[in-house]
Amino acid sequence: MLNQIIFGYFAVTMISLALIVITRKNIMHSIVYMLILFFHIAGLYLFLNAEFLAAIQIIVYAGAIMVLFLFVIMLLNLREELRKSRFAITWPIGAIFVVLSAVMIIISVFGNRFANVGNVKISDIEKVGHTVAVGKLLFVEYLFPFEVASLILLVAIVGAIVLAKKEIK
Amino acid sequence: MELLWEISIIVIKIVVVVSVVMFHVAYATYFERKVIGRMQMRMGPKEVGPLGILQPVADGIKSFFKEDIIPLNSDKPVFYLAPVISIMAAMSALAVIPFFDGFIISNINLGILFILAMSSLGAYGIVLAGWASNSKYAFLGGLRSAAQVISYEVSLGLSLVGVMLLAGSFNLNDIVEAQSSSVFGFYAIPQILGFFVFIVSAVAETNRPPFDLPEAESELVAGYFAEYSGFRFALFMAAEYIGMIIMSSLAVLCFLGGWTVPYYVLYLFPFLGAVPGVVWFILKLYACIFFYYWIRATLPRFRYDQLMALGWKLLIPLSLLNILITGIAKLII
Amino acid sequence: MEEYVKIVTRDRLYKDEMESLMTKFLFLEIVRGMRLTLKTMFKKPVTRRYPKEKRQAKPGFRGLHALVRNPETGNAKCVGCGLCAAMCPSKCIYIYTREGDNHEKVVERYEIEVLRCVYCSLCVEACPFQAIALTETYDYAAFSKQELFYTKDRLLKNWDDFMTEEKKKRYFESFWGPKTSFFRENESQATFKGKS
Repeated sequence: MLNQIIFGYFAVTMISLALIVITRKNIMHSIVYMLILFFHIAGLYLFLNAEFLAAIQIIVYAGAIMVLFLFVIMLLNLREELRKSRFAITWPIGAIFVVLSAVMIIISVFGNRFANVGNVKISDIEKVGHTVAVGKLLFVEYLFPFEVASLILLVAIVGAIVLAKKEIK
Repeated sequence: MELLWEISIIVIKIVVVVSVVMFHVAYATYFERKVIGRMQMRMGPKEVGPLGILQPVADGIKSFFKEDIIPLNSDKPVFYLAPVISIMAAMSALAVIPFFDGFIISNINLGILFILAMSSLGAYGIVLAGWASNSKYAFLGGLRSAAQVISYEVSLGLSLVGVMLLAGSFNLNDIVEAQSSSVFGFYAIPQILGFFVFIVSAVAETNRPPFDLPEAESELVAGYFAEYSGFRFALFMAAEYIGMIIMSSLAVLCFLGGWTVPYYVLYLFPFLGAVPGVVWFILKLYACIFFYYWIRATLPRFRYDQLMALGWKLLIPLSLLNILITGIAKLII
Repeated sequence: MEEYVKIVTRDRLYKDEMESLMTKFLFLEIVRGMRLTLKTMFKKPVTRRYPKEKRQAKPGFRGLHALVRNPETGNAKCVGCGLCAAMCPSKCIYIYTREGDNHEKVVERYEIEVLRCVYCSLCVEACPFQAIALTETYDYAAFSKQELFYTKDRLLKNWDDFMTEEKKKRYFESFWGPKTSFFRENESQATFKGKS
């Protein structure tokens, strides 16, 4: 019962926070709400025994990526942004994509409901600790996908440098 | 009943830790002014009480009763929120620091990661304060702080990876235990590279001189908290000093052996074993904090591009090298 | 010989390079600076804690004004000639005289507006009787302008308060000089002696 209540609290708060984030006119305020949202996500991870993921969620998303967002937003002229209308001219295209992706998510949620439980159980995680479990999975079982993902990130970094540097000797 | 007992123990622990730390924060300011004063052939505070010992009390009372000025065009909710975020992030990291064997508010497995997460959240207080004040100086301070914290957090985290590899744990208790049973008794010698990177990044992460660009007095008045006054200002100051205490205790726990003394010292001077662990911890902590003041009195402020170059071009490669060496050494041994 | 020189220079170059590398990698410059600050920490501070610990003014210091009290008559030495007021660049000396009962000149009021004084000491130099002096007192801050407006009585009191025996002696010796004996002969007014 307690579990359901806690999950319910997290779910409701997260969804309402997400709505608040996208409806604020002042981007700075939506960033503050997004910060609270990240904390709730981390809390949810903690209830799933995924403590490492919770810590990483806060360090990487709240601590680094959101600060970068802030950094960019601070360079914008907020006073002008506040006066602009809320919707861009191209909003119908966005709406189509939103509807399509919503349909996709609903289909995948209902289609995948009880399949693929995975072979790592919570009791296993509790035995060795979440960090060890994640590390073993990442670097033993899924080493190749992990390396591929990091390669993609490397490509992005190189691309950013190419864009930032005007001429490369 | 048992639950109530546990909760009350935790509450007592929190009260003890917070009061002791706040006392230390107050006297850290006094100590800093004294040390830097003497290093510049001045005297430091001397008027309030004998040897100026009541100076922090006077400062506290003054900041309580000062007028709380809020800029007219500031973003009020964010302006109110920013110092609270700052001090909350600093204070909550205290929860996972073991001050001596068995004394820790919350012994979680992710001690180091929790501290890193909280210290990165401290940047929000600074950035939001800089933005909400609606002042150019504060804004520039906030911008600088955002960039600085992001770049130095990387090297701070990476420099600790070597320690985590050697100890095989994120738990600060386990790290101290592993150190006391290691060859040198503490990790500062085998992790000398990591220790160096950690020191530099910790100074940068807490915005202390010579990396105090977000609050560079000569350029930005007071930087991100230029518009704050009264108690909110005091909150920012307290957050800075708590951050210093946390970084120092992280250095003590991860590199200097925490509350333990190396076994060879105990072998040479057996009577040192009678000294309680908390004394060792506090002595090492004071040494680290003194080091903060010492470099503040010695080094001039870095230029901004120098700061970024140091972070990205020297510290991050060094810490990666340290991880590589540690990993290989661990594989061989 | 030439070869020898070459070798020496090369050696020195090599040594210099090693040194610069060492300074770079071991942060020798920073270490040197840290050692300096640590040493300074144990030196005596140069601070003087002003209100508690006052610095002795050097002789000849130009501080608060005082009217010289003639040690023989016990009155002010000033005769009201007005030279000091005429000389004063900031015009802060006010002198009012009247005729006395025996048709002598009596200095009724002698006032100095200390706030406007620039401490040039021209009044002291101008005075033919050395009747005005600048004492070595420098801490006479006050809360009102009125307090810093010195009348004749207060100026005489300054002389009594701030010119201690030793200072008085020094003052008379160094400033009164040969004129002292000259004035001692003439009890009344200064008279033009002419070419005798």
